[in-house]
Amino acid sequence: MATRRTRQEIRPSLVSPPVAGVASLLIPGLGQILARQFQRGLLLLGSLVTSIGLFAWRVSLLAGREVGLAAKFNKALRWSPLFVLPVLVSLVALWLWIAWDAYQQAQPGRRGGGIGVFVLVLVLFFALGWQISEINLYKLVTELSDASGPLSRVVWPWAAAVTRDVETTGAGAEILSPCDDLPPPSPPEEVSGEPYLVAEPTCGDLSQQVEEGGELKTIPGTTLSIVGRGYEPNTETELWWVDPIGNAFRMRSEGQYIVFTTDEEGSFELEVDMPYRLIPPSSEGRQVHRIEARQITTVGGLKPSSALLHNIEKMMETIVLGMMATLFGIVFSIPVSFLAARNLMSGSPFTMAIYYVTRSILNVIRSIEPLIWAILAITVVGLGPFAGVIALTVHSIAALGKLYSESIESIDPGPIEAIQATGANRLQTIMYAVVPQMIPPFVSFSIYRWDINVRMSTVIGLVGGGGIGFLLTQYIRLLDYRSAGICVWFIAITVATLDYVSSDIRQRFV
Amino acid sequence: MLEVKNLTKIYDDGTVALRDVSFELADGEFLIVIGLSGSGKSTLLRCINRLIEPTEGQIVWDGVDITTAEPAELREIRRRIGMIFQHFNLVRRSTVLINVLSGRLGYVNPWSSLLHRFPKKDREMAMAALERVGIADQAYKRADELSGGQQQRVGIARALMQQPRMILADEPVASLDPVLAHSILEYLELLNREEEIAILCSLHYLDLVQRYATRVIGLRDGRIVYRGSREEIRAMTDREFKEIYGEEAVRVGVGLREGGGE
Repeated sequence: MATRRTRQEIRPSLVSPPVAGVASLLIPGLGQILARQFQRGLLLLGSLVTSIGLFAWRVSLLAGREVGLAAKFNKALRWSPLFVLPVLVSLVALWLWIAWDAYQQAQPGRRGGGIGVFVLVLVLFFALGWQISEINLYKLVTELSDASGPLSRVVWPWAAAVTRDVETTGAGAEILSPCDDLPPPSPPEEVSGEPYLVAEPTCGDLSQQVEEGGELKTIPGTTLSIVGRGYEPNTETELWWVDPIGNAFRMRSEGQYIVFTTDEEGSFELEVDMPYRLIPPSSEGRQVHRIEARQITTVGGLKPSSALLHNIEKMMETIVLGMMATLFGIVFSIPVSFLAARNLMSGSPFTMAIYYVTRSILNVIRSIEPLIWAILAITVVGLGPFAGVIALTVHSIAALGKLYSESIESIDPGPIEAIQATGANRLQTIMYAVVPQMIPPFVSFSIYRWDINVRMSTVIGLVGGGGIGFLLTQYIRLLDYRSAGICVWFIAITVATLDYVSSDIRQRFV
Repeated sequence: MLEVKNLTKIYDDGTVALRDVSFELADGEFLIVIGLSGSGKSTLLRCINRLIEPTEGQIVWDGVDITTAEPAELREIRRRIGMIFQHFNLVRRSTVLINVLSGRLGYVNPWSSLLHRFPKKDREMAMAALERVGIADQAYKRADELSGGQQQRVGIARALMQQPRMILADEPVASLDPVLAHSILEYLELLNREEEIAILCSLHYLDLVQRYATRVIGLRDGRIVYRGSREEIRAMTDREFKEIYGEEAVRVGVGLREGGGE
């Protein structure tokens, strides 16, 4: 460094300061290059060209379909003045500053310094980056309240973890529509102690919708007066309408579901209009509908919900998936690690070639994320945990192979020498001098990998590789944020527990 | 009787570590090799049990040529040559007892030894060896829990398990506190006198050399530049000292304590 500096001082600028300044004004960076500041000139030129390019790209995006440079620019300026104006000013300032910097650099005895121009470049890139990555703090604040519902359900999802069995009880009465000459259906027999419903009259007309002057008008149907007895007292009750083909609908009044509460004796009385229903034209004969009043009561105690059970099941799958991948990873990476250990393979050019090939393959495999391996594995074995096991195994082999081989490279040759000196054979030497040295890093890395694999297996389901991630994406797509919240909690608890356990075990072995 | 004849060692990178070294070691001798770091002391010791393959020359021990021994034969030779190292070279994570028992590896059934199973006789022998170096109570500790001096005693116990006829000691006290040096060397001296084990030891400190050696050879740049008896080393002149250690060397000592211990 010191020698370079002295050499630079001996070789002064090729041109005078004003010439350098003008050169950089025409072609930014040229002045610096003429002042024998080659790297500085290229760096500044590169920065300016890059930022102008990025700026042009964003302006044309903002301008949309406008034609012509001026029109594009005006449109962009109108849309986002806070971005376009300051960046434009900065670009011009940078250009001028580069010229001034060239003037400075060409001064005799002056080298380097002038950090301000690079700070301006950084600020410019930051401003462009802000716009390109569409950072919008305003949105973060204003739209946070919209997310508070789902978020609070994710944060505390336990209401969805338990459920109760429910039982629907009730009674119904048949209604004929329209009325005809034959006698209408008779009310049901009353059995004491059981819900009983009677509607009057037992035949009538459904509501009808007609178009009148461009507006849809509803002609109310026959009003039914309904009396119920023998229901659960003081309990919410719903009204349902079952049409002749067996479809049941909750009845509404003014758009709201009809819900009422039974009195202390379990009775009620109310009047409703017969609803609007389309009856298929193909239906023949008398159309007998049915009106029902139903009560939903919970039976028995709390029990785990299906979401909770699914979560437990998938969490087990996740942990086992990670474990299997780790086991396979260990088994396969041990032989691989011997091939990737420099000290073992430095014997001949042939073994050295194997070493380099193995190392390169491991590096390539390791640089591809397990999620991508999972997608590849799915194309072979289909969706499910097996694909996840394959993906994590492949990645584990590469990662463990590297770690193991490095620990083989770093073993102390002293004990090997000492054991050889006792007259031990090769196998004894490995068993007594190599293996004891290998165990601590081996155990440590394996457990560390298990930790990583379980962590990864929680997300490998996002692409269909089995485990709890699969469940999580499903719940999120169904907007079932409570159940998704249970997934998140399970993942957090498992990963934290494993983290603690693995670091504890590793500490004992090192 | 060990005879080293015209021993030369040239490493793969061209370094000449030993050049035409010849000497003899009679049974029951305590021969000390002195010389600067890099003078070839460690290479010399390791050539004798062929931890390092000599390039040229011959090493004959009790009429057997070590340099041409086949692997199986070499192991038989090695098991009668104990070795002690500057950095102890214990298996740090194994127990003291396992480290000591590993001295028996050349004798026991190789297959059962892989499972760390040793005959009862050997286990008793190991405890006796630990008793002898005064650390029997540490037998079940991990080797790296012991202090440096204790670790070197484990190293001696391991060498004892080989029932050696000769012990090679490579700077056995160089990484120990000077005050512990005597205690280690006294064990070696005891073995040398009581069991007539020949000892070939490399050392740094001249005071220790004067105290323990029965004979001395000096190495410089891989050549023997000094040969002397116990009396001669005690009367070593500055001229001879500089011959071995170079012109810049200054004599320093650790303070000779007759009959010293810990």
